[in-house]
Amino acid sequence: MRLRDDQLWFARAVMDGVGIDEAPRRLTAGPKQSATERLDIYRRGYEARLVECLADDYPVLKRALGVDAFESLCRRYVEHHPSRSPNLNRFGGQMAAFCRDELEGPASKRAFATDLASLEWAIVEVIHAPRSEPLTLERFSQVPPDGWGGACLEANTAFRLLELEYPVNAYFQAVLDGADPVAPGPAWSATLVYRSGTTIWRTDLAAPAFEVLSGLVAGETLAASLSRAEVELAKLDPAEASGRVARWFREWVADGLFVRVALRLGGDSVGGAMGA
Amino acid sequence: MANRFGLPDLGVGLGLRTVHYAHVVEAQPEVDWFEILSENYMQTAGRPLHYVDAVAGRYPVAMHGVSLSIGSTDPLDRAYLIELRALRDRVKARWVSDHLCWTGVGGKNTHDLLPMPYTEEALRHVVGRVRAVQDFLGAPLALENPSSYAEHAGAQMTEWEFLARVAEDADCAILLDVNNVYVSGFNHGFDPSTYLAAIPFDRVVQLHVAGHTHHGTHIIDSHIGPVIDDVWRLLGEAWRRAGGVSVLLEWDAEIPGFEATHAEALRAKQFIGAPS
Repeated sequence: MRLRDDQLWFARAVMDGVGIDEAPRRLTAGPKQSATERLDIYRRGYEARLVECLADDYPVLKRALGVDAFESLCRRYVEHHPSRSPNLNRFGGQMAAFCRDELEGPASKRAFATDLASLEWAIVEVIHAPRSEPLTLERFSQVPPDGWGGACLEANTAFRLLELEYPVNAYFQAVLDGADPVAPGPAWSATLVYRSGTTIWRTDLAAPAFEVLSGLVAGETLAASLSRAEVELAKLDPAEASGRVARWFREWVADGLFVRVALRLGGDSVGGAMGA
Repeated sequence: MANRFGLPDLGVGLGLRTVHYAHVVEAQPEVDWFEILSENYMQTAGRPLHYVDAVAGRYPVAMHGVSLSIGSTDPLDRAYLIELRALRDRVKARWVSDHLCWTGVGGKNTHDLLPMPYTEEALRHVVGRVRAVQDFLGAPLALENPSSYAEHAGAQMTEWEFLARVAEDADCAILLDVNNVYVSGFNHGFDPSTYLAAIPFDRVVQLHVAGHTHHGTHIIDSHIGPVIDDVWRLLGEAWRRAGGVSVLLEWDAEIPGFEATHAEALRAKQFIGAPS
């Protein structure tokens, strides 16, 4: 089949630079360009289009690495991860792992870039994630006191919780604010990325809040989730500790992070989930 | 002369772009209709659908795709077609269009509009696939002539003959892009008027117009900047041959504010004889 052969050759030439020497035989020359020059328009366009897509997804990583290093990284990414999808919504999804494995330079640079890419990809994922009607504070407050310990909160899908080796959210925000920040040194951080309406929000969490929220997202009961932070909370005055926990939950519910409460007794669901 | 498919003349519309989402949804400017890029609202369940639902609830829309890959020798992507049809039904699109090209082969997508060889084999191949897509959609598909920068050797007909024969043999509609006629005319050395004279205008349901970038040796269909007068004049000629048909401006890079973009679209009225 001549058509298939033509297409396989053209695609390999455009995507991989293979078989370009066949251009004068397979393509015609134009009024002002040779066949090879005409093919090269498609080759350059292919690479530029996908690099531009990655730059859209990772504007702060581009700023952090510098244009040349970022585009070099992207060109190698395009080689390793050619698109197999009708659209480019998920094309950049392997960038964090690619930074970790392929970025040139010291380990600290790779680790920082990996975290930054993870944050930027979380934003992309949250943009495209479905968002169910969130649990309201009113419904949340209707959980009976004796049901709290065994309650589980079902997470909304339009949020991501990141545990990071570098404080990249602060760096990200500084770049958005027009500052010229230097890449930070390593320091544990946790960032919550979520969508409310059409707005994407990012907020950093302290370790105890991150631990509790991680437990809830993993499907643990409130009691089990809170036990993750009991060492830190025990350092506080009991009233202050309970006030802090209450504030976390008010904020998380108000932010729409959960869609319903499932009440369990002895680990078994008792049905009657309380939704929005 | 109304088109044979009975599709309406929607007037002068604009390609919906993300940078204009907020303005369109909040200010609800007077616009005849919007063309949405199909793939922007596929493989997503998030924010893009929020905006397209709001736009489709207020304005007539048509869908324009870039990844149907109707000319590829890979099998038709059924999952893509299912999602395309669902989107069509969701936004109540007046029609669905894509390009007379292929975008990838071997499971990989270049995300470019790659040129077809103008051969009997390619013609038979495309006609069969257009019929299959139309059966699936239960509606005519409109195929657009893409800009091209290379031509395969061994052509058995011209581009305009190929387009006309595909349309006649598959009984499909045509989205005639007059900027693409101009661009390809320069790149391959043909007279755009010869092209227009060969088009079965009873099948033309929409006209595209756009800016381009002239590189001296070739022109790239960049969709940047104002439309040049030669292209506007081609639009006028095509519109008169069609006896009145929906017109749309595409502007995809270095996009100005909404009002300036819409004002450029409305310049079409000076060339098609419609009241401004």
